[in-house]
Amino acid sequence: MCTAEASASLLQVEETFSACLARIDALILKPLLQAEPTDQKGKENLKLFLRLNDRFQALWSLTEENYRILKQKCSASESFCIQDIYTLKGPNYQIYQLVSCEAWKHHKTVLKQFLTDFTSETSMSLALYTVLHKPIRDHIMQYILLLTKLNEDVVTSAIKEYMKLESFVSQVLDEACFTKSLWKSLSYKFTDMLCVPERRLLEDSKNLPISASTNRSDRVLLFDDVLVLIQGNSFQSFDLKLVWVDENSITLSSLVSPAFLFLCPQAVWQWKLNQAVRQALNGKRDFPLWGKTGEGTEPPSCRFFTYVFKLEGKFKSASYEGEWHWGKPHGKGTLKWRDGRNHVGDFKEGLEHGFGICLVPRRSEDRYDCYKCHWYKGKMRGYGICEYGNDMVYKGYFKDDVRQGFGILENCSAEHSFKYTGQWENDKKNGYGVWEDKDRGERYIGTWLDDHKHGQGIVVTQSGVCYQRTFHADKMVGSGILLLEDDYVYEGNFTEDLTFVGKGKLSFANGFILEGTFTNKSGQGLQTHGILNTSNEQLDDRITKAQLGLEDFPVEKRWKGIYDQFLEFIHSGCKEETEESFMGFHIQTSKELRKSQEYLFCQRYEYCMLLLQQRSPFALKSSLHPLGKLLKALTIAFQATYSGIGANKHLLTMAQEEIKYYAKKIWEFYQGLLRLALEQKGQLPANDQKACSTVLPLILPCFYPELFMLYMLYHEREDDLYCQGIMDLSLFPDIKLLEFLDVQKHLWPLKDLTLTTNQRRSLIKDKCFLSATECLQKLITTVDPREKLVILQKTYEEIESTVSRVVEKDYKLPMDDLLPLLMYVVSRAKIQHLGAEIHLIRDLMDPTNQGGLYDFLLTALESCYEHIQRMRLHQRENCHVTHSS
Amino acid sequence: MMAIRELKVCLLGDTGVGKSSIVCRFVQDHFDHNISPTIGASFMTKTVPCGNELHKFLIWDTAGQERFHSLAPMYYRGSAAAVIVYDITKQDSFHTLKKWVKELKEHGPENIVMAIAGNKCDLSDIREVPMKDAKEYAESIGAIVVETSAKNAVNIEELFQGISRQIPPLDPHENGNNGAIKLGKQTSQTGRRCC
Repeated sequence: MCTAEASASLLQVEETFSACLARIDALILKPLLQAEPTDQKGKENLKLFLRLNDRFQALWSLTEENYRILKQKCSASESFCIQDIYTLKGPNYQIYQLVSCEAWKHHKTVLKQFLTDFTSETSMSLALYTVLHKPIRDHIMQYILLLTKLNEDVVTSAIKEYMKLESFVSQVLDEACFTKSLWKSLSYKFTDMLCVPERRLLEDSKNLPISASTNRSDRVLLFDDVLVLIQGNSFQSFDLKLVWVDENSITLSSLVSPAFLFLCPQAVWQWKLNQAVRQALNGKRDFPLWGKTGEGTEPPSCRFFTYVFKLEGKFKSASYEGEWHWGKPHGKGTLKWRDGRNHVGDFKEGLEHGFGICLVPRRSEDRYDCYKCHWYKGKMRGYGICEYGNDMVYKGYFKDDVRQGFGILENCSAEHSFKYTGQWENDKKNGYGVWEDKDRGERYIGTWLDDHKHGQGIVVTQSGVCYQRTFHADKMVGSGILLLEDDYVYEGNFTEDLTFVGKGKLSFANGFILEGTFTNKSGQGLQTHGILNTSNEQLDDRITKAQLGLEDFPVEKRWKGIYDQFLEFIHSGCKEETEESFMGFHIQTSKELRKSQEYLFCQRYEYCMLLLQQRSPFALKSSLHPLGKLLKALTIAFQATYSGIGANKHLLTMAQEEIKYYAKKIWEFYQGLLRLALEQKGQLPANDQKACSTVLPLILPCFYPELFMLYMLYHEREDDLYCQGIMDLSLFPDIKLLEFLDVQKHLWPLKDLTLTTNQRRSLIKDKCFLSATECLQKLITTVDPREKLVILQKTYEEIESTVSRVVEKDYKLPMDDLLPLLMYVVSRAKIQHLGAEIHLIRDLMDPTNQGGLYDFLLTALESCYEHIQRMRLHQRENCHVTHSS
Repeated sequence: MMAIRELKVCLLGDTGVGKSSIVCRFVQDHFDHNISPTIGASFMTKTVPCGNELHKFLIWDTAGQERFHSLAPMYYRGSAAAVIVYDITKQDSFHTLKKWVKELKEHGPENIVMAIAGNKCDLSDIREVPMKDAKEYAESIGAIVVETSAKNAVNIEELFQGISRQIPPLDPHENGNNGAIKLGKQTSQTGRRCC
């Protein structure tokens, strides 16, 4: 068959088809379009019919276009070749396919509707059905025929496509018939719900049993979008996108229907279901139907889908948009409830698990509580932040959806701002905690029971007054100790606004003691009946510097929640998944960091050990490291207690004890981590004898500002006196001072006194022992007691070397010489808070130093400090004596 | 290895009686395996064997001037022993010694071992304090007494041996409450404040 013939016959076919379409349009479609729909169903039908008409018109115009091009090619016949035909047909068959497929779908439906509407006109609708689809099928057949005749290589693929199209059309028609007969066979009750024009039946368990174990009365229908289970008079339908199939079972979302689970579906069903699910997920049908033979790919097990839960339970009537895995929300998703509550985050096996953000609307106001927290099997657990709609913020740990463990609740609103730092149990303040009432300028440090102050508590106020009382459901009971300004101490009963009531004992700083019954009638002021004892000397330090809270809050019982959280993490084997909820939200960055060697899980503890040996605070400084995180939490707790209002001298011992205990605990935990790390590596932990005093200098910088402030307050009076003494001594020129302090003359470093012409040796100031003085002044530049002691030792060495230079030989200073010289250096160094420094060093230095070199040096310094004070006191008394005489 | 016990020893006595000379002689005369850090002649250490223990003396010097007397409690607190030195050629220094003994009895650590050293016995021809007086006094207070010469290294060793003998052997159940400090153990004195 030559090209010319072929094109001629193609032209003819096209012409006939076009004419045929024109006829259909004129005779059938046009009149039908004019029909006025009378009821709802008719309207719907008309809509569908309009769509059919659109497709038909498109097909028609395409045919016309095709015809026109073909004709053009024919008239310019010289260059006409097969290639042209092919190129012409190539793109067109796609459209044919589309049009015919769609067209027939609608034909079918419309006809079916016609059938229901005009049952008497069965023959007519049948005729319509034939008239509408026959020309197209015939047309395709003719094309196939023609192309086959051409018998050229280039057109074989085109022929194949047309063959596919042919079979596709017939399959679509079969499916439509199959569906049509189903609708006929089902009762009205079912069709009413299930019958949708586009829906096609793919398989019916009546034709092909789904599995051996199925109950006979059950019927399963597989449509192209849903899976329907009919049990007796009821049915359930399931979106195919939420159907998972393997050789063992068909899994539907267990949240959708827990009961529906088929065991061992037949191979054909399994295959068909998988194909149907895949097509439903892709949102388009395969061409040809069911995919290419043997190439059917499994649908993915993880899917993205939106679903509204219908079953009773936590998620009832919530809509979930997100990732699914075998019938359960799994992966990232968003859950929305009708009441406005929603949860965005990680899910696992149908429950919230991992990090999530949850918004819960408040009942009365138009505001939300926002939880940013970790979930564990559907419940909040681990570290979280909750921003409540009423301006309160909670940062801390949760368990089983309630606040549990260590946490901070803060109210930042202007009206009643407060901050609670402490222990939570069952969503309430329970155990040891610190409450700061910012309006009243008060801080309560003590125990709590179900959100009430209960048990022993200390209250410190802005003005520096503090007291210790027993509380019972927020009320003060019994008697307590009230430490007033100017070192007045009151023991007895008093009210919240610090009015004395009932029996009490008031001690004045000058040693007077008033014991009696106090009354405070309105308008009459404070009245008392009692005895005033004036025989006592000045009040003892034990009273004026009384330390609170030591027995009532043993250091082991403070901040238990912080340690517990850490212990839980260690006991769970430091798993990475628990690490996140322990550490908080730094994990995104830490994941990146983990790649770098700094954060390799197992090695890092070894690393940390290495660093600890080198006394580097690296591990503790990094908030990414569990120990660093622990330290950070402890720092926050410490600051919440002792900074600001909490800077009160009566809390010094409490604070000091606490830091030592922190060091002890961190050492223990570090040992625990180390053991774990070594066990993971299959090594036996070495018996490390290093004392926990290694840790104290490492952590001290975190607590130093608050702690030193407490020391300064505690030693305020002594430091004042000492400073006055220093001021007096600073008036002395160097030589006068050396003389005054009884430094032996042959030790005077007169060589250091280089004079200008206008100076006299006896008037020179701040020249002698300058190197030692400058060295001692460095004492305040470091926080580590060990480093401070080293500075002290160096100061001594400077004194000795200066003396050795003066006497021109190695001179071993006995205490008779050393003490006056040290006194000289101390008075010239003018360290403001020397008392605080000395006592801080003594309290926090390694206890093994006791009796040793450093202890001696510190004692020598302390004795200078004391002596300067006594000189000053003595001088003052002498003044008084001279004045009075 | 023998257990090392650290013993804080405090030196008391008038200025010029040779407190530090005695210690310098004691520390320098004999071998000391490890060279311990010192603060001139003010703080020195020396380890001597005693029975099945090693006694490491941590010797604290004090300033002998009268004006610094009131500071002494800071130095002798926690001492296991006190060496009180007088000059046999100076009666005054023996008076001062008596004052020290009295103070230690009243304010010093419990069970403190007291050793009296009559120094400068090389100058016995200008002696002012008879040996007998010192002995009788020492007996009355239950103290060790020796006449020493730091210059000629007389009785120095014996003085400290005497102290070692007087230190009660370590009771494993008791945690050295007479000023002896065990290595690596924290004595339970936290929260203690001076004065």
